[in-house]
Amino acid sequence: MIQLYKVTKQYEGVPALRDVSFAVDKGEFVFVTGPSGAGKTTLLKILFCAERADEGQIIIQGVNVFRIDRSGIPYLRRNMGFVFQDYKLLPHKTVFENIALALKVVGAPYGDIERKAYQVLKKVGLEAKRHLTPPKLSGGEQQRVAVARALVNEPRVLLADEPTGNLDPQSGQEIFRMFREVNLKGTTVIVATHDWETVRKMQRRIITMERGRVTDDGMSQRSRDAAPPPAPGTVSRP
Amino acid sequence: MKGYGPPFYVAEAFRGLRANSLVNLLAVGTITMAMLIVGVFLLVFLNLRGTVGEMSSRLEISVYLKDGITLQEREFLQARLKTEPGVRKVAFLPRAEALAIFRKELSGQESLLEGLGENPLPDSFEVGLDLKPGDAGRIESLADKFSSLPGVEDVSYGKQGAETVAVLFSLVLYGGVALAALLGVTVVFIISNSVRLALYSRGQEIELMQWIGATRGFIRGPFLFEGMMIAMLGSALGVVVLAAVFHALPRGAVVLFSRPYGLEFLSPAAIAGLIFGGGALGLTGAFISVEKFLE
Repeated sequence: MIQLYKVTKQYEGVPALRDVSFAVDKGEFVFVTGPSGAGKTTLLKILFCAERADEGQIIIQGVNVFRIDRSGIPYLRRNMGFVFQDYKLLPHKTVFENIALALKVVGAPYGDIERKAYQVLKKVGLEAKRHLTPPKLSGGEQQRVAVARALVNEPRVLLADEPTGNLDPQSGQEIFRMFREVNLKGTTVIVATHDWETVRKMQRRIITMERGRVTDDGMSQRSRDAAPPPAPGTVSRP
Repeated sequence: MKGYGPPFYVAEAFRGLRANSLVNLLAVGTITMAMLIVGVFLLVFLNLRGTVGEMSSRLEISVYLKDGITLQEREFLQARLKTEPGVRKVAFLPRAEALAIFRKELSGQESLLEGLGENPLPDSFEVGLDLKPGDAGRIESLADKFSSLPGVEDVSYGKQGAETVAVLFSLVLYGGVALAALLGVTVVFIISNSVRLALYSRGQEIELMQWIGATRGFIRGPFLFEGMMIAMLGSALGVVVLAAVFHALPRGAVVLFSRPYGLEFLSPAAIAGLIFGGGALGLTGAFISVEKFLE
């Protein structure tokens, strides 16, 4: 589903990603972890075509990202949902309008918009608050709206960048529960997070990054159940 | 899934117009003023063109005949004049009739003619011409040709008048085009700035739309319609103000153009041209801003 081979990215000469290679299968749930500046966000941005890699090969759902022109990017993104740490909800629009916008940009028929938006809000438990604007919701609720927006077009891939970074532990657990449900229905999920406790509990594949490199790629429970994250500079094998 | 097309963009454009109503109102006002100036020039130009056209069609060359010319020679000359391209009619004016007309024109000052004794005016042909506006050179060449024909003593025509009208016509034409071009650029600039403000005020929404898979066309559409609508509204208001001023003008002002039926307002085609032309300029201004912003 997603393949990266020797992907490199620099910002003004400073390497952000160095020879990053890995593959993610359809329906997998993958955590990308590592300290700040490890390259997690850059990696997700490249997968989402918000940044262009300097070198390497990236194939997403059979599409070579290097060969895709600017006009093709929106269509690639329509098969992906993205959840941001800061939610990126439009504050002057209601919860419903925020969700409806995601349906409008893909040209969903008007008749479907209300039904689909309601269904997805029901899924995240916010159908009763659909007429409120985001500032009137708690952080956890806002992130649930953001998740609903990412899922409303039923993407094949869900990317999340520190989705629980601004949330209390309970709200964070709720978000991860939703990701797990989506994943069980076949959506590939890639989450960049610092939340080591959740990563450990969920027992899924972990890609560990360090200074732009992948330093570890394996299953959590086998290699480091109840263990702290690897010290900087160490490389472990799955 | 297909996109929504123009109805969606128009609805979104109205939403944008409401959201930035003050900025858009200022833009509409400025465009109204710009289009009013363009409209005034268009009005003057079209009326002057009509006037010049009529004056040209009324232009005549007087061909004075030599004394003692025979009837046969005169008839031959009349037939010869009629064959010339651009000649509409040739009418014989006997010297006695010419004097009577002259007397009539001098009405109240007949005493000036008292010392003349014998009629000093010759027989003549009044040659009516059918020429296009600005064809002053053609009149001169015809007059030269007629003066060399046998039996012709002299020719005369309103040379200075024809030339003045031609110069005035060119002045309004070129001045109007230059001013219209300048004001056209101004309209593009105004719309471009107005749309840019709208883009910045909705920057967060646009960025988000890009993240969730919106095409450039989807983002661009409402802003293009917004720019076009502001410009068309401004242009339409400009025409309304122009019409109000035109109808408030004292009728005496139309003497300037000396048309038998007075000054005419813009034709429906010219009004449509102003409004849709303004719309096209608005579209251009909006396109420039949106493309720059999306880059």
